[in-house]
Amino acid sequence: MDRSWMKSAAAVAACLLLFGARPAGAADAVKIGIIWPLTGNAAAAGQASKAAAEVAADIVNNAHPELGDLPLAKTAGLPNLGGAKLELVFADHQGNPSLAQQLATRLITQDKVNVLMGAYQSSCSFTATAVAERYGVPFMVGESAALNITGRGFKWVFRGTPIASDYARTYMRFFADMKQQGKKIDSIAIVNENTDYGTSVADAIAEEAKKANIPVAIRIPYSASSTDVSAQVLQLKEKRPDVVIFISYTADSILYMKTLKNLDYKPPMIIGDDTGFSDPSFIPAVADIAQGVMNRSAWAIGKPGSVTYKINEMYKAKTGRDLDDTSARNMQSFFALADAINRAGSTDPEKIRVALTETDLKPEQLMMGYQGVKFDHTGQNILASTYLIQLHGKAYDLVWPEKAATAQLQWPMAGWAK
Amino acid sequence: MKRLSPTRLGIAVFAVGLLLYPLVFTNPFYLDIGVTFLLAAISASAWNIVGGYAGQISVGHSMFFGLGAYAPLLFYQLLGWPPMAGIPIGIAASVVLAIIIGMPTFRLTGHYFSMATIAVAELIRIFTGTWDFVGAAIGLQGPATARGWWDLTFRGETPYYYIFLGVLAALLFITHTIERRRFGYYLRAIKARERAARSLGVPVLQIKMQALMLSAIFTSLAGSLYAIKTGFIDPESGFGILVSVQMVIIAALGGAGTLFGPVFGALILIPLQSATNTWFGGGGSGLTYILYGGIIVLIARFEPGGLFELWHRVIAKYRSRRDAA
Repeated sequence: MDRSWMKSAAAVAACLLLFGARPAGAADAVKIGIIWPLTGNAAAAGQASKAAAEVAADIVNNAHPELGDLPLAKTAGLPNLGGAKLELVFADHQGNPSLAQQLATRLITQDKVNVLMGAYQSSCSFTATAVAERYGVPFMVGESAALNITGRGFKWVFRGTPIASDYARTYMRFFADMKQQGKKIDSIAIVNENTDYGTSVADAIAEEAKKANIPVAIRIPYSASSTDVSAQVLQLKEKRPDVVIFISYTADSILYMKTLKNLDYKPPMIIGDDTGFSDPSFIPAVADIAQGVMNRSAWAIGKPGSVTYKINEMYKAKTGRDLDDTSARNMQSFFALADAINRAGSTDPEKIRVALTETDLKPEQLMMGYQGVKFDHTGQNILASTYLIQLHGKAYDLVWPEKAATAQLQWPMAGWAK
Repeated sequence: MKRLSPTRLGIAVFAVGLLLYPLVFTNPFYLDIGVTFLLAAISASAWNIVGGYAGQISVGHSMFFGLGAYAPLLFYQLLGWPPMAGIPIGIAASVVLAIIIGMPTFRLTGHYFSMATIAVAELIRIFTGTWDFVGAAIGLQGPATARGWWDLTFRGETPYYYIFLGVLAALLFITHTIERRRFGYYLRAIKARERAARSLGVPVLQIKMQALMLSAIFTSLAGSLYAIKTGFIDPESGFGILVSVQMVIIAALGGAGTLFGPVFGALILIPLQSATNTWFGGGGSGLTYILYGGIIVLIARFEPGGLFELWHRVIAKYRSRRDAA
């Protein structure tokens, strides 16, 4: 009997010890713990972002003089820390908020990471950032949309990505620019799918439109699983707005394009808010009838020889795919974090936090179409914004802002006209 | 003669081990695994009352878990109550739901009962995801920092550990009491053969309903504890089907219909989950699931009665050896 319980006790102890031993990294490396969904529903996004973070770490850790003004590219490692390298520790939260919480605890207390990054799904960002806040470890939210991830009074949480209000402001700046060029924008319409995503973006756009004095002729919420949207299109047709903004998922965005043609109503301009309009199936399905449709993307590959083009080549060599908007936004947040660690000149969490609050990256130091990276007191990047792209033939071209554009803006859109 | 049977000694050692665990493993990550283990053990033991003892395989227990999880955070967000105050409301709602669900579904047997429970839980999940009042798809958050001890928002894991341990002990005590009473015999009679039980005068529907209500109370409590500890709940983590499935797997793994089966199952499964994810999760190759699933398949193949049966066999062997000596 003695033996039997000793055996089970030994088994339990063994189980517990198994988590412990991990080989210690080089003494001077800076550890970045990254929590992403590497398996489960959002695995594709998590895996793509993981590859992007690895490319980013390569850029920081090795000398890449060809990458111009990108911070930390020219030198190998972090110069202010004696050339210390970044070491990435990935963890897979599987889209489970409770697991994200546990992993944040593990990365902080077991792996002793200096900073954290993550967590893609807003639900996981909520719980993981709360852990970082409790332990006093800087957390960079690379890409999570929910508004109140920042603004909960947290000191240690920063977010590099644009959020709904940033996109809304970009649309308004675009409209102002167009008006100056003599385009007629007297009213807009907002068509949004009626769950959280669509509603929150539509709210943000309506609010910014009010500030910019652009009347919203009509707001049409609908269910993304609708199989018939002719009623909604007829409503639009009656109001005749100058621009229609769609916040839609995939099947419904395609259905709208087809219904617009069937009912022969073509607004002067359509803007799709990413998501459905960026889905790989959108272009093959409706390219013929949706010529000139606009969309947003903060990432553009750019002309051959440009910094972004070279980054894309590095990413492509690793994965075989072009870098996508989501991963690119995560990558930009990663660079901002690395830059702050370097400026802190130390792995002391408080010094890194202070350096993050003092972050001020200029547009030419970025790989994304932001106006800069600068965090407000809630930790949100206030200079985040996005490019606008337009469907020409079978691909989107960058058309706005003009100084970054690779193609001429077409207004009004051609739609199905030849 | 029954001074200290091996089973009792094993339980005593195990209990002492659980009590001392936070003192030995002070690292927050190990503590968090301990807390996760206790929570899984509570949920699976609660499921065990109706799923194990009464043999009514519910795969929709997340409906009670979710109600229990939402109530504390909902009242915190709406009225600023300490989350703890929502626990009884969650329990009350779960009991009402158990009655509403039990009346029609308990007329179904076998797979049909399981399917009906899945359907109801999924309906609630989808409904919650579109209802703004309860945070829709984004979910609800608890207090970020405690306003006082009554918020039960602790920096360390140790308080959660002992609270959860207390709840588990109470649940096991109640189950143990039931096991030896008439109610327990009724449950096992229903599990063995419902029609035979009815013809012998067991009030089948009423007993099943009582078992479901009791099970719902503790599942709801488990949900509340989860939400208070995590400080966040959304439709997927509250009402998602994986929540229900985990309860079933843990109970089946350890031994459904036995007092310590679910605890034993959680003791195996939770460290296994954490370990496989720690070793292989960062690689992102999905090896976590392969190993985890593989081990479950192995246990199902070689120990279909649950691992607790293995323990009983070991004890029996020891006894027979002793008697022979």
